[in-house]
Amino acid sequence: MLVLIVRRLILAALTLVLTSIIATIVVQALPGDACTAYLGRYIEPGALAQCRGQLGLDHPLAERYLDWVAGLARGDLGMSLSTRRPAIELIGPRVQNSFLLGGVSALIGLPLAVGLGVLAATRRDRLADLLASGLSMAAMAMPEFVTGTLLIFVFAIWLGLLPAVTLVSSNATVMDLLPYIILPVLTLVVVLIAHILRVTRANVIDQLESEHAEFARLRGVGGWRLLWRHVLPGALPATINLCALTLAWLLCGVVVVERVFNYPGLGTLMIEAISNRDLPVVLEATMVFAGTYILANLAADLATIALDPRLRRSGSGW
Amino acid sequence: MDTSRTQTARRARDPLLAKTLVTAAALVTTLLSVSVADAATLRLAYDSAVGTAASLDPISPNRYYLANELVYSRLVMPDAAGKPAPDLATSWSASPDLKAWTFKLRDGVKFHDGSDLTADDVVYSLLRTKSSVLKSPLGSVLSIIDTVTADDPHTVTVKLTSAFADLPLLLMDYRARILSAKAEKGNLDAVNDTGIGTGPFTVGKYDPQGTTVFKAFDGYFGGKPKLDEVDVFDIADQQAQVQAMLSGQIDYVQTIDQQQSKLFADAGKFKVFSVPTGGWQAIVMMLNAAPFTDVRVAKALRMAVDRQAMLNLLVGKDGGTVSCDNPVWAGDPYYAPASCPQDIAGAKQLLAQAGHPDGIDVELFTSDLNNLWIKMAQIYQQQVAPAGIRVKITQVPSADYNNYYWMHKPLTQTAWGQRPADQILNEAYQSSATWNESAFKNKQFDDLLAKARATADFDARKAIYGQLQQMLWDQGGTFIPFHTNQISVVSTKVTGLPEASLETVHWNEVALAN
Repeated sequence: MLVLIVRRLILAALTLVLTSIIATIVVQALPGDACTAYLGRYIEPGALAQCRGQLGLDHPLAERYLDWVAGLARGDLGMSLSTRRPAIELIGPRVQNSFLLGGVSALIGLPLAVGLGVLAATRRDRLADLLASGLSMAAMAMPEFVTGTLLIFVFAIWLGLLPAVTLVSSNATVMDLLPYIILPVLTLVVVLIAHILRVTRANVIDQLESEHAEFARLRGVGGWRLLWRHVLPGALPATINLCALTLAWLLCGVVVVERVFNYPGLGTLMIEAISNRDLPVVLEATMVFAGTYILANLAADLATIALDPRLRRSGSGW
Repeated sequence: MDTSRTQTARRARDPLLAKTLVTAAALVTTLLSVSVADAATLRLAYDSAVGTAASLDPISPNRYYLANELVYSRLVMPDAAGKPAPDLATSWSASPDLKAWTFKLRDGVKFHDGSDLTADDVVYSLLRTKSSVLKSPLGSVLSIIDTVTADDPHTVTVKLTSAFADLPLLLMDYRARILSAKAEKGNLDAVNDTGIGTGPFTVGKYDPQGTTVFKAFDGYFGGKPKLDEVDVFDIADQQAQVQAMLSGQIDYVQTIDQQQSKLFADAGKFKVFSVPTGGWQAIVMMLNAAPFTDVRVAKALRMAVDRQAMLNLLVGKDGGTVSCDNPVWAGDPYYAPASCPQDIAGAKQLLAQAGHPDGIDVELFTSDLNNLWIKMAQIYQQQVAPAGIRVKITQVPSADYNNYYWMHKPLTQTAWGQRPADQILNEAYQSSATWNESAFKNKQFDDLLAKARATADFDARKAIYGQLQQMLWDQGGTFIPFHTNQISVVSTKVTGLPEASLETVHWNEVALAN
């Protein structure tokens, strides 16, 4: 198990390096640079050259990339090219905000989705199942921005209970943000529940109809014991992988939801950084994204191994 | 008693989510009611558009617009009729040859740091617009300024490179703000983002990506502001601004569209303002590129359009004022009225004369950089088709538009904010202007433009500016269908905010009624 984790972490480091190189090349391949973005329509040749000199854009790309890596190794995230201030001031609060919103949504949404999925499967074709499946289909069919706008209309404009959009300072604390995350969390939960619920339901039904479940039933095993010992271990791995990806998706900032609720998250920062051609910030946001996905996947694999004794013994797979 | 217990029990069985929501809602209501208590805070929304790059320096290309309005003062500001009115200067006069202007400064004006405003601050602020390091867009607007000198602590003389009868109009520019020379030790090349001005509000906390707080400046020369504070929230999404306004989180939204104005029909809560402005969106032909080297082709492409219909479709019939390709707007003292109904037959005839009897094919490059462009291009395409003008619309990425298409391809789109007549004619049509986007080069036009500037008599000057506008209709390459109105929405609690451009607002008079 430990060997597996170490191996996976080495691989993760390689993935991060590769991702950062690809991101650097992609940003470079976009037309324009941080200076054309900054100067906009008011470009004069002299101003452009001068700006490029100030930001070090006249140095070769490889050199700038290596500088960035060296800085990162020293724990220095470098300067944002658009604000010309330390990048950490931009990234830090956004990571906190996105992790808060995504974390709370996952904490509420994932157990709820899996639980409802199992419930729907065990009550197949009965009222609870029809309700859960039907409503989840409806939620799934609705894009995030519609759900969000609808919730704003009901809870903020009509009932006047909750704030419509997030209005905080850019170094807001978790306490400052709490009143504002309720509607975005609700939106995200509605969006994520549908998918996971349906996958869980399908997997549990598969397992309930499998030969080994049938065999267990013939041996007289039923009710919770059947579900817990014979059905869920087979049904959950696929669900866990989906949950891990969903968790990563939530933590990395859902741009559409951020826009609707004016929530200062990582997704919006990434988009701004790309349009400003702000390479250091783009790279660091990419690292957070990639790192989160890698860790979430690793956690999912470990959980799957814990559930499946066969994988535990072999120990050789990546 | 019994029933209430059953209800509680039933509620407890509801999903966890609903319970959290109810508790949280109660919490939020308490929190919000606390923040509403300090009633003299005006809450605004602003999309800095440049995001992380916003600057407090009023002449930066990425200036934070509301700081320009609230924190700094100008020498002169526009009155309700758009005429120059005193701000920091109480009176001004020109030499007989119109080449030297003298401004008398107001007595007893204090900067936010407690220091006195003197002529040196004005000299510093005007000269730094010429800095080759800062390269401010305001520099080209004020390029006519040659030297600025302090005659005494309250008198400034501005010498011009050539005669100009309307210098005060240029100095009304929303960026021509007066800064403290002491703040950057008089260094003309330094970015001055200290936020120290002479305006009615000081910068309490500058946070363009979060909440920027402006505090009332008790020492404001125009009188203590009636508000205690102005909070400006960064809300990038326009729809989100509307939601915040509808739910009462903010008191004012500067720009909404025609559709959204219907959401604010409740007159007890909202006032909707529709203010004519000099802003315009256009289709530009480069007159130095085929097929527009023949001005008859350019004119045919302009006269084949039904402008009123285009205006109605794009912004609604109350959303603007038809323009006959005139960059000067109806609110400008030098505006020359004209009429230009759709003329398909005339367009066909001009095309035939120019050697295109079977019509003409053109490619129009557009992008979603401006929210009206693509729709305007499509309406244009339909409207000019009967004249044999076949328009191919090519949409390109907005990030590339200004650098690779605008002023590079023969047929593109453009957008300009409001400018005084002389300024827009000089910035976009004078032969050597940097942003002469239609490549309009006309010696007679340039000479008349210079002559207008040097003409002391208003009526004579107005006649020349009128002639220039007529020349653009006859020979120009810019199709300007209309000038847009700005539709804003303001809470009925707000008083002292006139239905006019924000640039004319006296912010110390703005208040909140209970």
